[in-house]
Amino acid sequence: MRIGFFGRLRDALGDEREVAGEAGETVSRLRIRLAGLHPRAAPDLLSPRVRACVADEIVDEDFLLGGHERVEFLPPLSGG
Amino acid sequence: MGVRLAGEPFAAERELAQFTAGLAGEGAVMSFLGIARDRTTDGEKVERLVLDHHPRLTLRSLNEIAAAAHERFAISALRIVHRSGLVAPGETIVFVAAAAAHRRAAFEAVDYVTDRLKTDAVFWKREDTAAGAHWIEPRDEDYSARERWSETPCPE
Repeated sequence: MRIGFFGRLRDALGDEREVAGEAGETVSRLRIRLAGLHPRAAPDLLSPRVRACVADEIVDEDFLLGGHERVEFLPPLSGG
Repeated sequence: MGVRLAGEPFAAERELAQFTAGLAGEGAVMSFLGIARDRTTDGEKVERLVLDHHPRLTLRSLNEIAAAAHERFAISALRIVHRSGLVAPGETIVFVAAAAAHRRAAFEAVDYVTDRLKTDAVFWKREDTAAGAHWIEPRDEDYSARERWSETPCPE
């Protein structure tokens, strides 16, 4: 599964990372897993203000990621 | 409906000329330029702005704001051009123009669009200064400006 990052998370982790998908994993479980892999970005990865997005729609924390190729993490918007 | 994301600097006067050339007898055009400031709110010199965007959601957010303005105000045309990528101080970040038969609708539509851009446009903005880089989030006053246009008034 590919994980895309924007804003401050893109600075910290790059445009995209690949991780092996895990059966039954939710957004919140993925956040915890990523935070463990990237401790310096953990505060942003775990922040409720950073929203998860799948197929161009914001998804909840209990969203099941199985079958989806890409999830994105969007920090709070700065606006235009 | 003219909404465009510009990855390079653009000439706002040309946008305005193109916009007015496409009109058909409207009596009012209002335009707004947002320009990259050369100082942070703390007074530090800004070396550059970085406007990160999403490949689809950013344009979608601009189109939604434009559609809402069309629905809300008696305007006949609206244009939004927004920069992305590296922006130098003094460069235009955003151009907004609205045309209407009469001026009030054009004024209000541009006011509405610029307020909504501040909180609802999908951008992540980084200010780079000699002291370092920091990512910007909307200020409280941006949210209260947005709130002015809320459909349901706050309960007394």
